[in-house]
Amino acid sequence: MTKLLPIELTVNGSARSLDVAPHHTLLDVLRDELGLTGTKECCLVGECGACTVRLNGRIVDSCLVLAVEADGGEVATIEGLAPPGHLSRLQQSFLDEGAVQCGYCTPGQVLAADDLLRRNPRPTVAEIQEGLAGNLCRCACYEQITQAVLATSRAASDDL
Amino acid sequence: MTSERVGASPPRVGGHQRVTGHQRYVADIRLPNELHAKLVKLPVARARIIGIDTSAAQGIPGVKLVMTAADLPQPVPRFGPQFEDRPVLAVDETKYDGDAVALVAADTKDAAEEAAGLVKVSYEELPAVFTIALALDPAAPLVQDPQLRPGDPLGDTNVLREHRVGWGDVDAAPADLVIENRYTFPIVTHFAIEPHAFMAAPDGDGIAVWSSIQHPYWLQRVLAQVLALPLAKVRVFAPDPGGAFGGKQHAKYEPLVAFAALKAGRPVRLTLSLEETFQAARRTAAEIRVRTGLSSAGRLTFQDIEANYLIGAYADIADRVTGKGSYPGCGPYRLPAARIVARSVLSHTPPATAMRGFGNPEVNWAVESNLTEAALALGIDPLELRLRNLAGKGEAFIPFDTPADGEWEQTVRRAAELVGWETTKPPGHGRGIAIGIKSGPTTGLSYSMVRLLADGSAIVYAGTSDMGQGARTILAQIAGDELGAPLDEVTVVMGDTAVVPYDQQTSASRSSVLMGNAVLQACREIQAKLRDMAAKLHGVSQEAIVVERGVVRLADQELRIREILRSGLGRLGGELIGIGESRKEDDPGHPLGGSAAFFEFNCTAIEAEVDRETGDIRILRHVTVSDVGKALNPLQVRMQDEGAAIMGLGHTLMEHYIFDDSGRIRNLGAIDYRIPTSLDLPVELRSEMVENSDGPGPYGAKGMSEGALLCVAPAVAAAVRDATGVAIRDLPLTPERVWRALQEAAT
Amino acid sequence: MRSFAYERPATLPDAVALLDRHGAGARVLAGGTDLIIRLRDGTCRATLIVDVKRIPELLPKIEVADELLRIGAGTVMADIASDVRVGRHFPALAEAAAVVGSVQIRNRATLAGNVCNASPAADTLPPLLIYGASVVAMGPAGLRRIALDDLLARSGTTTLRRGEVVTAIELPLPIGRVGATHVRRTRRSGHDLASVTLAVAIDDAGVTRLAYGSVGPRPLLVVDHTGAFADPHAPEAALQEVFDSMFAEARPSPRSMRAGPEYRLAMLRVLARRARQAALDRLWES
Repeated sequence: MTKLLPIELTVNGSARSLDVAPHHTLLDVLRDELGLTGTKECCLVGECGACTVRLNGRIVDSCLVLAVEADGGEVATIEGLAPPGHLSRLQQSFLDEGAVQCGYCTPGQVLAADDLLRRNPRPTVAEIQEGLAGNLCRCACYEQITQAVLATSRAASDDL
Repeated sequence: MTSERVGASPPRVGGHQRVTGHQRYVADIRLPNELHAKLVKLPVARARIIGIDTSAAQGIPGVKLVMTAADLPQPVPRFGPQFEDRPVLAVDETKYDGDAVALVAADTKDAAEEAAGLVKVSYEELPAVFTIALALDPAAPLVQDPQLRPGDPLGDTNVLREHRVGWGDVDAAPADLVIENRYTFPIVTHFAIEPHAFMAAPDGDGIAVWSSIQHPYWLQRVLAQVLALPLAKVRVFAPDPGGAFGGKQHAKYEPLVAFAALKAGRPVRLTLSLEETFQAARRTAAEIRVRTGLSSAGRLTFQDIEANYLIGAYADIADRVTGKGSYPGCGPYRLPAARIVARSVLSHTPPATAMRGFGNPEVNWAVESNLTEAALALGIDPLELRLRNLAGKGEAFIPFDTPADGEWEQTVRRAAELVGWETTKPPGHGRGIAIGIKSGPTTGLSYSMVRLLADGSAIVYAGTSDMGQGARTILAQIAGDELGAPLDEVTVVMGDTAVVPYDQQTSASRSSVLMGNAVLQACREIQAKLRDMAAKLHGVSQEAIVVERGVVRLADQELRIREILRSGLGRLGGELIGIGESRKEDDPGHPLGGSAAFFEFNCTAIEAEVDRETGDIRILRHVTVSDVGKALNPLQVRMQDEGAAIMGLGHTLMEHYIFDDSGRIRNLGAIDYRIPTSLDLPVELRSEMVENSDGPGPYGAKGMSEGALLCVAPAVAAAVRDATGVAIRDLPLTPERVWRALQEAAT
Repeated sequence: MRSFAYERPATLPDAVALLDRHGAGARVLAGGTDLIIRLRDGTCRATLIVDVKRIPELLPKIEVADELLRIGAGTVMADIASDVRVGRHFPALAEAAAVVGSVQIRNRATLAGNVCNASPAADTLPPLLIYGASVVAMGPAGLRRIALDDLLARSGTTTLRRGEVVTAIELPLPIGRVGATHVRRTRRSGHDLASVTLAVAIDDAGVTRLAYGSVGPRPLLVVDHTGAFADPHAPEAALQEVFDSMFAEARPSPRSMRAGPEYRLAMLRVLARRARQAALDRLWES
């Protein structure tokens, strides 16, 4: 039997202590141990971005991060983006702009878009396309996703 | 609320859950006491199974079941929507790279994975045929057991079926110009971001199965048959799939998982890896020879088409793809003579199944490209050539079949206008235009039940699958509109065969029309009951009352539906129930079993430039215009069209399976199978729709969502031809292929 | 994925001892963007994974000292791509780091990892080669500095010895003006592995350093001292001669899925020509 290793991490603001197998990824643990199934599993080679989460302030493909590597770290998933029952401005924009079709890539797209806007509050279309290039959408909502990001950035700057 | 009415674009029903990560797809659903399953496959394209030793696998702690064909009822049940050719597990022979020989079920994923690696299969690799040429070679091994087709004259070949359609006399047709070319369309795969996922659990004296399936009732039928259970004891849950595009229409591993669950007495779940989905479902590839005859004035005189579709080792629905896809293959043109011969060619490759466009993109690639060649040879503008031959509304461009059902010239001219067809081309730019047509459903049956509850809210039961196209939303819009309920007071229940009445399938862009009409009918039945209720309440005759779009209109007043309900339901309370049925009967005399309910018609126009040194194609402007009848939800229509357009760029520019010499697929998975990303978009993508309310669906809607994919490839290739002078007849137009074509042309 | 043991040594000597003790059974884990894939597909069968990310000497850090730019082994591509000093002195490296993959990948993938993975198609290797990079490694026998050109053996293999772990990558600051760039060929505009990857640096003495990858078992560095490559007025024949000499050792694999050998060889020249123009433009601007 694989020896389990204890880890402590903060997930969506809550401190969690877990015993994990070294070969289990952060994606495995989020979905299977913590029941946070909003983060999705697809390619498992870091190409599709469906497993995108925020780890220690940066977005990563959680399928390529071992759970043990997240020990002592902070993880934010799609479930933690807004308080229960609420939507962030970005999430609302995704709905308003029609950037959601089957929805399977949506959590990853939202995490990536959220990260982009934190780093670059007024992105150009080219910057949005580059920032989200690690998130595949087979329904190909790319144009609508770009519009959702632009709308969010415009609304945020209107607030200032 | 006008912003929610049919014709408006309210936010997607189910959008909230998707954007917060709460939407539950099959892989997100957990059952107590479940077992995790893993498939055992061989590292070859084709093999004779000599023996399977499961002892080491069974010894792994946590393993509860190792299932092989020997553990199934004998003879091993077979299933398939067209031919019952596919065994639940491979028997004696694996027929393609990925054909499962065993299933392991264990308490944990790790144990299942470890045990799957320990199942020892002794096998003998056999030669595989995985191209048209190899499969049609007279010495080729037969892919399908000839016993499955006794008495079939083609039974000793790898041609599963040959479809012949034609009219007029092609051989006697006059022609001032004949253009003949051969085109190829590659094997591509759906690559939905949600891999196929299946679960089964014993359910009393029956079984419950969860699947990412598009056709829950079809699956229910297959399961009932292979498990020898009554339909009423087979419950299929079909959570909204995370994308499907045709790849999840028909049963794949559900029968196997069901047997495993019944044997283990516990729930069993199997989620395919992305690589396994490539081995489970793909589009039919094709080699098409087209001979087109025209007069010097540019009128089509004949089309002579031979299309060989490469299907997989098991037929799935691929032969229907061949037949139905090739049938309108000559295009929406006036054509005195036509001959189409289309064959389904079996091969040792993963099962080909439905994929957006259903066999039309393949023939369209060839026929439209050939039309472009013809235009150039005749010195006629390619747009003009098409307009000159385009069928007008009401004309039967396929004799004795559904006539042209749209003002198609409007669509074509609009596309040309949007791409700036008549404007001066900047140097180095090329333009191309193409037309695509696809038959809608030829048969269909959708039931819907709608319940108008006491407070005026409503529940709609619809067996359609919402896989991203937004079926839930438009059905809610229809019901909400008809019953005067805002969208947030309408619940749409889908995906449970025990609760939702029968729907034949979700395919062929049918659901707006067929299920839409069923929902509409159910609402009309409720409206009739409301009329009756209002008549009794107000002491007037029914004829004096009109109920429409949420309002009850009496001679002297207008009341909202919920006001009538409040008074009319009385002390017992209750609800009003309506049932709708939308049926298109099959026509056994018709080559397709029925004429098309409608056509999807699209015109795609491209402006591109080509880097001659590298072969890169840069699409500057991609215009797509579709004839949709009525956009029940314009935003969703636009999203479907743009999504289809970009998916079309996939097989046009970058997607294809790469095989090794033995028939194994080399590029399984996301690293070496490239699909369009946000960085691969045209510089400008413009989509528009033509709405003339001339469809058979609610408010004049036609089905849509496949049209914008149909003719992307010939439009792009025509633009490349225009920019470089070089015609390329094989897809995808990778930089290397384009470069090579330019090199060859230069020598 | 098969199971394995996991250690996260707190000190460099601990890491070296672990790696020395386990030899080929152990693998260093930094960003994981290559290793995790290989553990999952079974091409790596290590039984011990040594996570080096918390070792002080390997912490992410970019510093300039002693005429060198030193990049700590734990430094990720995202930070290299955006670092002002890298952009100023080593623009070809910044460009390569920016295209290594998506934002998610660049936030994890380390330069040291890219080097040690030694893929022939690694985009950062040609720039590192043209800039004369060295790798600093600590092992049981102590500290070693290895010129990158001496570190790369063939696909997936370096000359690192048992127990050695890379602690930093050092690039000597350019002396004088240099114009440099990185270019590549891919199958689509979206992120992709390179079918050809190439970097060029031209200095004001007319010396050209050019390195290319994905056309053979390891990236190759060639230097043109003749000045022909760097001469904007060089006649076509002279340029072709230089190309012939530079690309003489290119050996594209006939089995590659990504591009055929003929195309790759042709693209080498196309890229070299375009990179040459860009590098010259940058030299004149600098």
